[in-house]
Amino acid sequence: MMDTFSRHRPLALLATVVLAQVLLLAFQIKRENNVRLIRYWAVELMTPLERAGTWTFSHVGGIWSGYVGLRNTRAENERLRNDVNTLRLRNRELESESAEAHRLATLLNFKEAHTEAPMLAAQVIGASADPTSHTLFINRGERDHVRRNMGVITPDGVVGKIVEVFPSTAQVLLINDKDSGVGALFASSRTHGVVKGSGDPQPHMDYVVNEEKLQSGDAIVTSGEDRIFPKDLLIGTVEATKPGNPFQVISVRPAARLDRLEDVIVLLSQQELLPKKTEEASDTNDVTPTQSGAQPATLPAPKASGVVTDPNKFKPAATASIQSTVPANKTPAPKPTPQR
Amino acid sequence: MSYMLNVGAHSEPNVEVHKFYSGTIIGTVLLALVFQAFLHKYGRWSELIDLPLLVTIYFGVSRRNPVSGLFLGGAIGILQDALSHDNPIGMYGIAKTLVGYLASSVGARIDTEHPLSRFGLIFLFFHFHQAILAVTQRVLLNHSAPFFTLHLFIDSLVTAAFGVVLFALLDRLRRNS
Repeated sequence: MMDTFSRHRPLALLATVVLAQVLLLAFQIKRENNVRLIRYWAVELMTPLERAGTWTFSHVGGIWSGYVGLRNTRAENERLRNDVNTLRLRNRELESESAEAHRLATLLNFKEAHTEAPMLAAQVIGASADPTSHTLFINRGERDHVRRNMGVITPDGVVGKIVEVFPSTAQVLLINDKDSGVGALFASSRTHGVVKGSGDPQPHMDYVVNEEKLQSGDAIVTSGEDRIFPKDLLIGTVEATKPGNPFQVISVRPAARLDRLEDVIVLLSQQELLPKKTEEASDTNDVTPTQSGAQPATLPAPKASGVVTDPNKFKPAATASIQSTVPANKTPAPKPTPQR
Repeated sequence: MSYMLNVGAHSEPNVEVHKFYSGTIIGTVLLALVFQAFLHKYGRWSELIDLPLLVTIYFGVSRRNPVSGLFLGGAIGILQDALSHDNPIGMYGIAKTLVGYLASSVGARIDTEHPLSRFGLIFLFFHFHQAILAVTQRVLLNHSAPFFTLHLFIDSLVTAAFGVVLFALLDRLRRNS
């Protein structure tokens, strides 16, 4: 090694001196942007090394985090999956509770808006096993002072009536059952008729003459003549009409969602429901719970009422607003078939 | 005046090395630099001759020691850079370092005493020097310096002719061995 250096000493010295002067030049010369050449070279020299270092570290880090560091990931993944399932279940429970709270709040609001009429909130606990029979069971019975022929409604509209009473439950005959019939009239024209079930999901309104001008969406309310439901409770709207002999065939869209009932109100008397503004009712916070005490006292009061008093201002059930207590002009109608 | 014939690498130990009186080299170098700067005042013709280059070549081929040749060339070049107002230090330094080294190496191998060979050596070293300058300027300074032009060719001829005369004068400063 030393021999080699001694033999090439002049050449090595030449290279050293030239290199030293090149570096000296590089230190003085400035390239564009006023950057010294020595710095430019240093950056050019170091950048590939830094890039290589970064690449190496990132890949080593990637290998570490992608393989070595994933030892506990499987267990953690399992744990997180379980957490997600638990939280998903909990979320469903909360959603269900929220929906239930909303429904109960609606009922409570309706009840508060009509304190003049005794009523009882109830939960639907079952339905008829017979597919042709449109009935359901509620969790209120004789012990709750429920009696036969009491009306059952929701804030949206009429549901049906009590047909059988047991000690702690009762059976409700829905308005679309073929044995059902509700005294009804059109909110606008006050023309009377009877809303009857036909076995189909949609009930029909009978005893309306062909000359009666009807439009789809016309509101149909209770007439009170069946002595079950108070007057002016919303039953539904006209869905379709066609001439018949001797009466029109009128298909009715029930205001209450008869296929999705969960909470209902049992009218303990035929006391007529006086329309009240829901805002006023919702100001009252000290709510007296029903006998079961199931309803929350501080839930928000949704704006809904199944009572229709001003036919000119009628809107579909969810947005129906109460405007006046004065019934519209009544028009004589064919005598309805009495309730069974 | 002794003429050296072509000698190979094996005969290097027998190469005749010329020595000078003390202070001759330093004085000559300084005079060359001063004259070069002084002559610049008198117009374009002075630029035809590169006195520091001639001095570098002369002492390189006379001393025939590559190490001293490269250091002498480097020192002359750096001084020349330092005396110029815009050259970065090292521009002429690199070129003359290489010229000094090569001149010393060549001086040990071929006849450098005959006027014709001196003319040829100076002519070649002039263009080698210019080539190194051009490369350095192109690479480091991003300047488009020419490698060869007619003007440079004339310069090289004038410098070589002047160098033959200068070398003969400088031979008188040699110390008799």
